[in-house]
Formats: sequence, structure tokens, C-alpha cells
Amino acid sequence: MTKSSPKIGVYGFTGCAGDQLMILNCEDQIVDLFGATEIRSFVMAKSDNHEGELDVALVEGSISTEEQLKHLKEIRERSKILIAIGTCACWGGPQAMKLGDGKYEDRYKKVYGNAKITISKAFEAQPLDAFVKVDMKIPGCPIDKQEFLKSVSKLVAGKHPYLLKSPVCLECKWKENRCILLDGKFCAGPLTKGGCGAVCPSHNLPCVGCWGPTDDLNVSAEYNLLKEKGYDPEEIITKIRKFGGSGVVELVKDLEKKGAKK
Amino acid sequence: MMILKMKKEDLPAFLESAKQWGELWGPTTKEEQTAYSKVDGLSQMDLKATRTMIPPKKFLYPPRFTMFDFDEEGFVERTGDVPKRILFGLHPCDIHGILIMDKLFLETYKDPYYAERREKTLLLGHSCIPDDKCMCFATNTDFVAEGFDLFFTDLKMFYLVWVGSSRGHDLVRMRADLFSRNLDKNDILNYTEYRKWKTAQFKAKIDLTGMPDIFELGYNSPVWDELAEKCLSCGQCSMVCPTCNCYNVVDEVELGTVEGTRDRFWDSCMFREYSVVAGGHNFRDKRADRLRLWYTHKLQAFIGEFGKPACVGCGRCVSTCPVDINVATVSKALKEQEVGK
Repeated sequence: MTKSSPKIGVYGFTGCAGDQLMILNCEDQIVDLFGATEIRSFVMAKSDNHEGELDVALVEGSISTEEQLKHLKEIRERSKILIAIGTCACWGGPQAMKLGDGKYEDRYKKVYGNAKITISKAFEAQPLDAFVKVDMKIPGCPIDKQEFLKSVSKLVAGKHPYLLKSPVCLECKWKENRCILLDGKFCAGPLTKGGCGAVCPSHNLPCVGCWGPTDDLNVSAEYNLLKEKGYDPEEIITKIRKFGGSGVVELVKDLEKKGAKK
Repeated sequence: MMILKMKKEDLPAFLESAKQWGELWGPTTKEEQTAYSKVDGLSQMDLKATRTMIPPKKFLYPPRFTMFDFDEEGFVERTGDVPKRILFGLHPCDIHGILIMDKLFLETYKDPYYAERREKTLLLGHSCIPDDKCMCFATNTDFVAEGFDLFFTDLKMFYLVWVGSSRGHDLVRMRADLFSRNLDKNDILNYTEYRKWKTAQFKAKIDLTGMPDIFELGYNSPVWDELAEKCLSCGQCSMVCPTCNCYNVVDEVELGTVEGTRDRFWDSCMFREYSVVAGGHNFRDKRADRLRLWYTHKLQAFIGEFGKPACVGCGRCVSTCPVDINVATVSKALKEQEVGK
């Protein structure tokens, strides 16, 4: 491509690096991706990296240390568009499943005891948008190749990417799967952003919610339904929070105010 | 319209000959779930199943498809690559559902994608055995007089076969030897008996008379808020409803080019995003407003415009919604001003 190719940087924080790996796993399109864009920095993929002004920063992982926070802010400053990739960057990920319960210090002590950690001060993991402006979220655990490539293709063409906002149930019905909730099993489909192709329910496995919350989830309806089906209230809330992170903190608080769990 | 008679045992031979026209599709059941699938013949079909989860709208208006390819110069329609299909085993409610789709997609604004698929699809109906979720008696869709190419009514030893179109007649003529025009007194008696039997099968408690008035009276009813508390906003009701037809349109581009496709996929007014307009305003931000829209559209507005409800009583919402929000429970709740457990 010409000099107008967008400059892209790919970064990772607290997470499994699976989203960056998924970018590299775009085998058929990887050459096109590197051709259509100018990948300035992608530590997992190459050694020749240059940190400077970017058109698009793709950032994976949640933020859990002072050092990461400094780095994130620095990336934000030199990027026109910052995109959170993966559920950890978007909502905090499983490491944020207890976000805001006030017991972070206890958990930290339980794991690290009195060991002196000198590298960087750690804090409770939170998604990127707890600290900087995030222009777009591409969730997933990991992200979906097609959704990622479609988004990047639109950006390169100077258009707004479109991501499905509806729940997993949309594509699940397209695949003519019987609703798992009807059989009294926990399925996070109605709470979870779709776009994954309803891959788990299509293999008769309930959705665990790994793409994070939709923009319109009715947590109390799901809670009440599952409670009626005999689920333990605490287990329901734990499952809702597993990948919900910052997206369900307030909703679960409301639920508890109404008398759930405790 | 013409009614012929065929021996039950001749159906496999008839379907075999019909396959010369196009692919044969029919209801098949796997793990208690019924779906329209491509089949070789009658032996693979399950004609006793009451309903498929997804109605036959999926053939005329697929869940997701590409409308056209575009580049800087213009666009090329993706029409022409739709296979010719024969759908066998459609129940009267399914055919009524397609008649409603026809109104929406073929009348005022003819949709070329729907029109092409409709043109390349033959609809072969089959009589059904109602279960406790069937509500077609309340929507006047338990029998059907138009919209099909052929309709087979099972009278134990024989089929009475309604010929509803010249294309249906063409299929008959391919095996004219299997059909007879000699209908006698017994056929009339058997058919009358069948209608009586079918009408006696309905167990669902539903009465939709006066619904437009009830909806008007109940516009501000707290029942909508109560239902909204239960609603998961999963959108399954729209996917399985034979008359839900809303869609979203998105462009996809090839990486590094401005070439791409314009795709269309099933959407639902139950989703929050559905009623967001430019500038970010949402006309139906509240879940209760969205529920009210869905049911008002089916049971009030459509009647006002077309003289019949946009509900064909198939019972798919009843068998699908995990929290029991469906045509039966909503109409009852609105009438009784109480949301049932």
C-alpha cells in the first residue's frame, strides 16, 4: 500500500495474549493485514518496533499495575483511535470478576503473603476504559478473527466498523439450536454480546459469557429464571460475574439490593 | 382450485418425481428438535411433528445473506444463484405466515431477493396434528385456502390434494397416474369428519377477540412494565415468529480495498439497538416499550392495516420463550391486568 496506510500498534497488558495470538492466527489474511497497514509496533510478532504516533492502537488485557497504567496513558496520547481487543481489555476479564467487592487487599495477601513486590505496584484489575477513553471495544475470549478483520478492513477504508450488539441468542436461533435455558441449564447467552456464531450452544454447551455483556442485559430476569429452576443464588451471581467484569458490577449491586444472595 | 385424491402409499413416488423440479426439503427431527432439511425422500421426513423451531421464512428470507457486491464503479446483484426448492409438509399456519410475508415483501415495495426465492420455491402443504401450544383456531389460520402450490390432507387411507397453482398442477401432471378426480360421497364425509376432529384437538386457552380494543385500552398499563422485568431481551421470539420480518443491513469491505458486500440479516425490535437513530436517540429505550411494540404490531396495528392479526397461531413463541412471554400469556395478562406466574 501507499504512504497513506494507517499506522497501527498492537499492545498487551494483563491477559493471556490470546487476542494478539488470534491476530497472528489470521493465516489467510495476515499478509494482507501487514500490507494494508503499517504495523509500527507488535512485540509478539516482530522485533523491529517503533513507538511513535499511531492511527490505531489495538490494546489487549486489563490494567493491573502502575507501570501498565503509565504505558496505557502514553499509548492513548499518541493514538488517534484506541481499540480494546478481548474481554479483559473491554470489561476486565475473569481477573475482574470480583471487581468492587472491597476485598482485593485480602485476596492479594492470600496469594502473595508478605512477599515484597518491587517491580510495580499492583492494583485490582480493571478494563481500559476505567482509565482512558476507549473508542471501540472488540470483545471476545479470544476475539473472533472475522469480527476483527471486518473491523480493521472498515477502519482502513475510512468507514465505521459495525459490531453486532445483540446477544448470543440471535445467531443461536439462526443455527436452530434448542434454547438451553428451556432445559433448566445455566446459559449466559441472553446476557452476552453475540458475534461468536453461538459456537458453544451449537455444540450443546451453554454459553459462559466469555464475550462480556451486551448493551442491554436483563440480569435480574436471568437471575430469577435460574433461581426458579433451582440454582443456588450465589452460583448464579458468580457465573454472571465471571466474564461480566465492569459491565455487571452495578447490575449485580442492584440485584443484591433487591434481596438476592447474601 | 381443484381437489384430487391420491393413495397414501403413492406419496413417495410422487415426491420422487417432483424432485425433477428442484431440491426436496421437509421437516426432519433430531434429538426432539424439528427443522426443515434437505431430504432424499419421504422416509427421512417427520410428518407427525407439530412445528419446526424456525418457520419456513428461512428459505424466502435467510437469516443472513449477501444482497450485492460493490466496488468503486458500482454494484452487482447477487441474484440468480438461488436453488429451486420444493418445501413439503408446510402446515396451514406456515402458509398463512408466508402469505403475510408476501404482503410485506411483494406488494408496495417489491423486494427482489424475497421475490426471487419465492419464485424458485414451491410450497406443498400438509395437514397437521395440533398440540396444546397451537393457537391457530384463535387467529383463523387453522385451515388454508390459498398460498400453496399443493396441499395434502391426510385422510388415513387417502390424501385429498388441493391444487392451488398451475405450478402445483405441473407437478401433478408429471405423475398424473397417481391422482384421481373421482371423489365420492365418502370423501366428503371423511373430510367433514377430519375438520371436526382437528377442531376438537385444540387445548390452548386463548381468545383474541377484541384485542385491538384491549391494546388501545391497555396502552399505559403497568402490565408492560411487569412483563419487561421478566423479559431477557434475547430476541428468540422474533427469530421463531413466522411473521417477524425486520432486518439490519451492513456493508463489509475487503481488507485494503473499497470492494465488498452489502449483507442483510434478521434483527428484532426487542433489541435496544434496533430503535437507535442518528444522533444516538432511542425511541424505545425502555424494554417495556419494545415489548409493547412487538405485541401491538402483531395483535392491533396489523389488524388495523390488513384486517387480520400478524399472528398465525403457530405456537412457536410459546415453545421458545424461556420466561413464558408469548401471544397467549401477553394477551391474557393484558385482559386480566395481571401477569401470570
